[in-house]
Amino acid sequence: MRADEGIGPYDRVIPVGAHALMRPPTLARRAGEVKMTIYTLGIDVGSTASKCIMLKDGTEIVSQSLIDVGAGTSGPARAIEAVLAGAGMSREEMHFTLATGYGRNSLDGIADAQMSELSCHAKGAAFLFPDVRTVIDIGGQDVKAMHIENGAMVNFQMNDKCAAGTGRFLDVMARVLEVKVDELGDLAAQSTKRVAISSTCTVFAESEVISQLAMDTDKRDIINGIHHSVANRVAGLVNRIGVQDRVVMTGGVAQNKGIVSALEESLGHIIYTSPLTQYVGALGAALFAYQKALKQVSS
Amino acid sequence: MSLENTFKEFQAAAYNPKKLLDEYKAAGKKVIGVLPYYAPEELVYAAGMVPMGIWGSNNKNIALAKEYCATFYCTIAQLALEMLLDGTMDQLDGVITPTICDTLRPMSQNYRVAMAKLKKMPTIFLAHPQYRRPAFGLQFTVDQYTNVKKELEAICGHEITDEDIRGAIKVYNKYRQARREFVKLAGEHPEAVSAVNRSAVLKAGYFMEKPEYTEKLEALNKELAALPASDWKGVKIVTSGIICDNPVLLKIFDENGIAIATDDVAHESRTIRVDAAEDGDPMMALAKQFADEDYDVLLYDEASNQNRRGEFVANLVKESGASGLVLFMQQFCDPEEMEYPYLKKALDAAQIPHIKLGIDQQMRDFGQAATAIQAFADVLSV
Repeated sequence: MRADEGIGPYDRVIPVGAHALMRPPTLARRAGEVKMTIYTLGIDVGSTASKCIMLKDGTEIVSQSLIDVGAGTSGPARAIEAVLAGAGMSREEMHFTLATGYGRNSLDGIADAQMSELSCHAKGAAFLFPDVRTVIDIGGQDVKAMHIENGAMVNFQMNDKCAAGTGRFLDVMARVLEVKVDELGDLAAQSTKRVAISSTCTVFAESEVISQLAMDTDKRDIINGIHHSVANRVAGLVNRIGVQDRVVMTGGVAQNKGIVSALEESLGHIIYTSPLTQYVGALGAALFAYQKALKQVSS
Repeated sequence: MSLENTFKEFQAAAYNPKKLLDEYKAAGKKVIGVLPYYAPEELVYAAGMVPMGIWGSNNKNIALAKEYCATFYCTIAQLALEMLLDGTMDQLDGVITPTICDTLRPMSQNYRVAMAKLKKMPTIFLAHPQYRRPAFGLQFTVDQYTNVKKELEAICGHEITDEDIRGAIKVYNKYRQARREFVKLAGEHPEAVSAVNRSAVLKAGYFMEKPEYTEKLEALNKELAALPASDWKGVKIVTSGIICDNPVLLKIFDENGIAIATDDVAHESRTIRVDAAEDGDPMMALAKQFADEDYDVLLYDEASNQNRRGEFVANLVKESGASGLVLFMQQFCDPEEMEYPYLKKALDAAQIPHIKLGIDQQMRDFGQAATAIQAFADVLSV
């Protein structure tokens, strides 16, 4: 079932099963008289992780992979190897491969084209949530807000050269707090009060957290404060493009329920996420790859 | 000469001004550094000396200048001082320090103190009036320019006559006209003039001797004008900001099929919009030329509540056939930051998409900018 077919009213988190996509492609895909099956590969080489999605006929996810290291590492090659192995297919069988993400230019000889991660996140989010109007992507080293109309990105904002509000900010804080990043959401949910972390600068915020730890403040309350600090920073960026429902959050940080909840509070809007949140950029890349493959087939 | 070879010549001048400075000095010429902007360079030329623009550097890092500068000074001003301190510009015979913004005002004193302390070169202070159009404002400009003229005379060792200045005005009017024509032609022929080459051609004008530069540019313009009409398939944008001359950054535009239709950049078009009268009192002609400058973030506008500048820039985008605007926001540039909401308001009202890229001259990694530029091209292509 597709995300946009038959599961309304929307759950705030779309179940994984919803992505067993079954809608037939809307565009013709014939080469002469012979019907073809078109396989496309989207590769999202982020700053902290490498993600791949393989699509069949632009609708069905055949295989996916994620390696926890990104640009400049073995991550992209390993992710590509894993996604191909998952489908039992070779790179030569891909009709079109499209790269996105911070390291999108590093795949010469592998990718047929590359596009910005903003366009790909917008595309992927609009595929999963057809009525999306606002996409928020918190990545490893930047934050992006996109305004979507009719499935296409028409405006966007990015953070400046600053780690505040990014995944890296949370990584730094988790290290100081001696917890894992993926534990932050659950720990924040147990908080009974919010500690104010006022600095947006990563370095100064780290000092604030250390001071709170020195005062024996409950870690869960500090994490709650960190989440709201990030949320306020991100909300300032998102508000610049004007928030419109449906709001969808993509990227790895969207798995942190504490951040999503804090951001909902800051924005005053419900935020939707997908279990595929880390793959949305790769999904968008695979969808663009499908469009390009169709053009090649029809030309 | 092929277009590519012509561009290479402009690049050679734009990317290595130190070599030109060495050549000028070896030829026995006196050279005056001119900091940004609206300095009456004509007076330097009239004195028989070579003016060289100093707009920071894309190849240096701030080290020595930290001794003199507040951290919130823009990198253009700090790197200018860096080059005055590190020996790059020791051969200059003097430097003119305009005070057109809140950074350059105190910075003029930093330059003065540093150059005096190190016994390097005379600094020539230049203050522009806020009210530049009334008679008292014009007179203030004439008085300031006269001070500059006297100090230049002390350096060149002879009087600068009115005839010298009138001759210089003619040379500079021709120079500005050629630059305006080039900006227009480059916008019309992006297939022939990349963003990188466009910038190099305009940047070279700050370093080459004006008659030689103008002659070369007029020849280039002639070649561009003879090209068949462009069938540009990419998008066109207008650039805005103080300066955007980093070839690494500009290459991203070329790689993504983004052409610069025209610009509202101080380093490029803002300073060549107005010519000076070639007859009458030449000092008053230069003062009037400054008074006639308009639509610049750094210039006082009595009618600022009408957002004339915002509308001017929005019209620039529409009339140039561009579909969007890229604003290069220099880090710590207060005037540009404060003006931005008004510019945004005018662009939004005219339904012109834009992006604001935060830059400084010490940036070496443009990954984030590349993402934004590429995404902007996608938005404009929708």
